Amino acid sequence: MKRTNDYFVGVVVLLVILTLTGATLWVKQTDIGERRSKVVARFRDVGNARVGNAVVIRGVRAGTIEAIELARGGWVHVRMTLDRSMQLPGTPVVLLNESSLFGEWQATITQRSALPHDETVQAQIAESSGGDDVLPGATLPDIAKLTAVAGQIAGDVANVAGRVEVAFDERAARELRSSIRNFADLSTTLSHTVSAHAGDLDTLSRGLQSAVSSLNRTALSAAQIAARVDSSSTTGEIRQIVDDMAHAAAELRRGSAQIRLMSEQLSRTQGRLDSFLTNGDSVLVKLNSGQGSLGLLLNDPSLYRNSDSLLTQLRGLVTEVRTNPKKFVSVRIF
Amino acid sequence: MTNASSVLQEVALQGGRELPLRVLSVLGGATRRALEGIGELARFTVRTAESVRDIRTWGPSATLQMRRLGVGSLPIGVFIALFTGIVLSLLASYSFTGAVPLYFVGTLVEKTITLELAPVLTGLALAGRVGANIAAELGTMRVTEQIDALETLGYDPHAYLVVPRVLAGIVMFPVVVGAAMVMGVASGWVASIGLLDISSAEFVKGMRLFFSAFDVRYGLVKASSFGFMVTLIGSVRGLRAGGGAEGVGRAATDAVVYSAVMILVLDAFWAIIWLLGSQR
Repeated sequence: MKRTNDYFVGVVVLLVILTLTGATLWVKQTDIGERRSKVVARFRDVGNARVGNAVVIRGVRAGTIEAIELARGGWVHVRMTLDRSMQLPGTPVVLLNESSLFGEWQATITQRSALPHDETVQAQIAESSGGDDVLPGATLPDIAKLTAVAGQIAGDVANVAGRVEVAFDERAARELRSSIRNFADLSTTLSHTVSAHAGDLDTLSRGLQSAVSSLNRTALSAAQIAARVDSSSTTGEIRQIVDDMAHAAAELRRGSAQIRLMSEQLSRTQGRLDSFLTNGDSVLVKLNSGQGSLGLLLNDPSLYRNSDSLLTQLRGLVTEVRTNPKKFVSVRIF
Repeated sequence: MTNASSVLQEVALQGGRELPLRVLSVLGGATRRALEGIGELARFTVRTAESVRDIRTWGPSATLQMRRLGVGSLPIGVFIALFTGIVLSLLASYSFTGAVPLYFVGTLVEKTITLELAPVLTGLALAGRVGANIAAELGTMRVTEQIDALETLGYDPHAYLVVPRVLAGIVMFPVVVGAAMVMGVASGWVASIGLLDISSAEFVKGMRLFFSAFDVRYGLVKASSFGFMVTLIGSVRGLRAGGGAEGVGRAATDAVVYSAVMILVLDAFWAIIWLLGSQR
């Protein structure tokens, strides 16, 4: 009975211990028998990376972070275990970054040339390069930092929006509304204009089409004429036409010489007339300005008034002479 | 409650100038009795620890107690964990709708089962089964004067009766809880695959995400402390039993109640001392 108890208890305890240990090792992915390769990378800061986080190569889980420990020179060494079959990329670097929004981090092993174009990351990689058998590493900002930056941007946007709200008051809204209304009217008018001119365009298009047809016909006629000319040149009719045209040209040349002569005479007559008119104009100008006797006579009113007064006096004198001749004529004979 | 009302009636009857003195005396008496209980438990613990040296007395019956208390409790522990894992995965899936990736069901099931539910639920179940069993057995021995007979024969009742039970509790509670852990996580895994839209790989990914060997260690140590407390309280209540069958029944009831309370107290104690300390 006692041995049976011992046996039962021993078996149960052993089974539970084995099961629990096996489950723990399996869940923890413990490397039994050193079947995995180890890689160490160094960082200035590992953010929220923890032991047990995944190691990823080209998006595929390749191992886990086995240990994170402080090292000399202000470095943090992250030791990772990788499956034996995993091949590291050429010039490998390690990035620590968040793998989800829930605080999970992962170590991503990638090529140096595939690094993100970020000055901070490049600087971290450059600084951590050069360690013996230690990969260079960089830590990407976590979501909290990004959220803080996003919050700052949101604040700035809110600030700008506030300013826009101040600038965009009721008056601006009215003006904008009016502008929109005007634009609507303008587009309506434009639409009507386009509709109205669509007919004209059609007409123009038809006219153009007709003109093109005419051109085609003309070209056809020209071609026919050319064909006729071509055929006429072979029968001697063209010689007669050319002679007639030479005769007509001589006649035209003579006519044009006579016309040229007449035009020269006409040109000279025009010059004389111009001279005459210029002289007349000069005389008239002098008359108008009161120069010369005629000018004075025409332009001085006092002369007119004196002449008028003289005539009046002369008329009175003649009358008195007629009335009393003896007053003025005295005949004495001795 | 009855004690409190009787104290109030007593105080009310006294009245007059004696009232303040009477209140102080009642308060002091209650404190003394509480401290007496703690002191008695401490003395009992010390005496049990001293009796561990008498290995020839407790050795032969140790495996028997381990089988009765531990192996015999495996089915109930595994049964509780089986349904706890299923319910937990469904609850996690229900809570995570939309916002949280479903592979976190694996994380929640593993963490909750390992750290809390397997030790505490199994501990409470064993408090009823083991604590009541010990209290009833020892109480019966006490009221039937078998313990007096043992003392007369020169046996140390602590070495003969208490030590093998307490050791069985300390050793076998973690075994039962370990089996419950495995069963709880496995049932949650199967339930997630079968009842929820979670693949096996996703559940394993979530389970491995934040897994630490500390979780298992913490749960097993906690279970061991529960085993110690449940068997010790059962032994104390059993050895102090008196008044025939009624006294034995009262001892069994007290053992279950005090054990359950102490399990929750110890749970909080370990959380504050160890879990909180490990984060700092």
